[in-house]
Amino acid sequence: MHTLISNELLKLRTSRAPWILLAAQLLLVLAAVSGIVISGEDLRNAATTRLMLAHAGPSFIFVLVLGITAVAGEYRDGTISDTFLATPRRSRVILAKLIAYGGAGLVFGLLSTLSALGVTVFSHAVAGAPLDLATTDVWTTMAGTVAFMALTCIIGVAIGSIFTNIGASIGVALAWTALIETTMYSLLGDLGRWLPVLSGFALQNVPQPKILPQLTGGLVFAAYALVFAVAALTVTTRRDVS
Amino acid sequence: MATVSIESLTKRFGRVLAVDGLSFQAPPGTITGFLGPNGAGKTTTLRSALGLVRPTSGRVLIDQHRYQDLSQPRRVVGALLDPGATHPGRTGRDHLRVMAGVTGVGDSRVDALLEQVDLTEAADRRVSGYSLGMHQRLGLAVALMGDPEVLILDEPANGLDPEGIAWLRGLLRGLAAQGRTILISSHLLSEVSQTVDRVVIIDEGRLRFDGTLAELGSGTVSVRTAGGAKLRDALTRRGFQVAVTGTAALEVRGATADQVGQVAADERIGLSELTTDRASLEAAFLRLTGSSEIPAAPAPRRSPAASTSPATPAAN
Repeated sequence: MHTLISNELLKLRTSRAPWILLAAQLLLVLAAVSGIVISGEDLRNAATTRLMLAHAGPSFIFVLVLGITAVAGEYRDGTISDTFLATPRRSRVILAKLIAYGGAGLVFGLLSTLSALGVTVFSHAVAGAPLDLATTDVWTTMAGTVAFMALTCIIGVAIGSIFTNIGASIGVALAWTALIETTMYSLLGDLGRWLPVLSGFALQNVPQPKILPQLTGGLVFAAYALVFAVAALTVTTRRDVS
Repeated sequence: MATVSIESLTKRFGRVLAVDGLSFQAPPGTITGFLGPNGAGKTTTLRSALGLVRPTSGRVLIDQHRYQDLSQPRRVVGALLDPGATHPGRTGRDHLRVMAGVTGVGDSRVDALLEQVDLTEAADRRVSGYSLGMHQRLGLAVALMGDPEVLILDEPANGLDPEGIAWLRGLLRGLAAQGRTILISSHLLSEVSQTVDRVVIIDEGRLRFDGTLAELGSGTVSVRTAGGAKLRDALTRRGFQVAVTGTAALEVRGATADQVGQVAADERIGLSELTTDRASLEAAFLRLTGSSEIPAAPAPRRSPAASTSPATPAAN
């Protein structure tokens, strides 16, 4: 298993897409967090600090796409055959990818959160506003964001394994986050808090009405990741690769 | 020594029967050519052998084991299925490094393989810039990585220039001589007829022929010998049809090159040339696969029209 995971990490390092996605994600985070400063939010308000840090969250789309490329990218390039030839027990391949990309999502989340933190510290210093980073709330928001990204990447790997077509996978993922879930949210009312993306956002622990508490949201989002992973393992072992 | 054994293999994709009760063996130390027109079921058969496609019924055993039950499959079987199956942004060397990792061999093997398939100079370029022939060489390097006893190659000559095909022939001949089992597919008999020892021909998923090239070409054998008259008599006595085509040349019908050679040896007649007519090999292949691409006959429309016309008088 160790070999398989390090092999997946080698594949990640030797292709360009992850680096491009990472650069794009960090740029988006810098822009989103700077936007709060520019829009004139009160930097002296402690709630603004958490809002700024949480603005690393919407960039999860890049992590989702990264996860999708893990398996669907191999189907597109045809390298999935060689991968399964080397490891005929396909569940081990998928498991290795889930773990490796979970780790990659963690790193992406960490770098995004640190970027958000950097902008926060810089803007407060420039404005001469006091910044209290020693509160629990600040750290739960940052840790929650990192966990959110790691689980998102795992879900991405699973989506790519289930649909195998990279275009269809990304299309479905974007349609879900941008359209389907928001529509369902307005239909479901209070129940809408339990939908995947919203339970994921709950991990960021930003005080908002109509969102689950952090721990509950985290458990729900992890449960979604688990269901997706099991589905991916099941369909992959039964599929004809031709 | 590992034999590849296809046993009553059947694969159905929805309503399409891709492989239909196919059985044959690829023995060690030989190159078996697996032939058939496009869509005959070759790739499905090879993918079933490699555990990528799940057979509807039947099985494929490699050295008595199913591929997916081999503990270190890449050390036993090397496969080339699709030469284009590479991540376009990766370099040739990185592609091999990725494969070396899962094969369980070190990076030093990568350099040796690059040398062996003559890609050392292009190793650090992205594979998106490789030609089809270079992709084939890279794919062969992957197949050879685990130093396997069995090689399964799908259309390995595709995209190679004549020099490349000659190189491939030499490589495969050498590997077979070491006792390895080699199974290569092609939709062109002419592409592999000088490489393979045995041929298996399928069409519409069913076995059409399984034997040596000499048996396939059974039909016309050309002989050159100083002892033409003596050989003609000997062959005629054994029931073969012999035509004298030149001062020292015979054409034997209804025989294989093996049979003619044996007769000559029995009669102690020296031969200067003994060949199976290539055209007859090609014709046999086309006949077996029911291909419509038979070289144009002088009046191609006449015979089908005659056989289907109700006005044709019954033979009597």
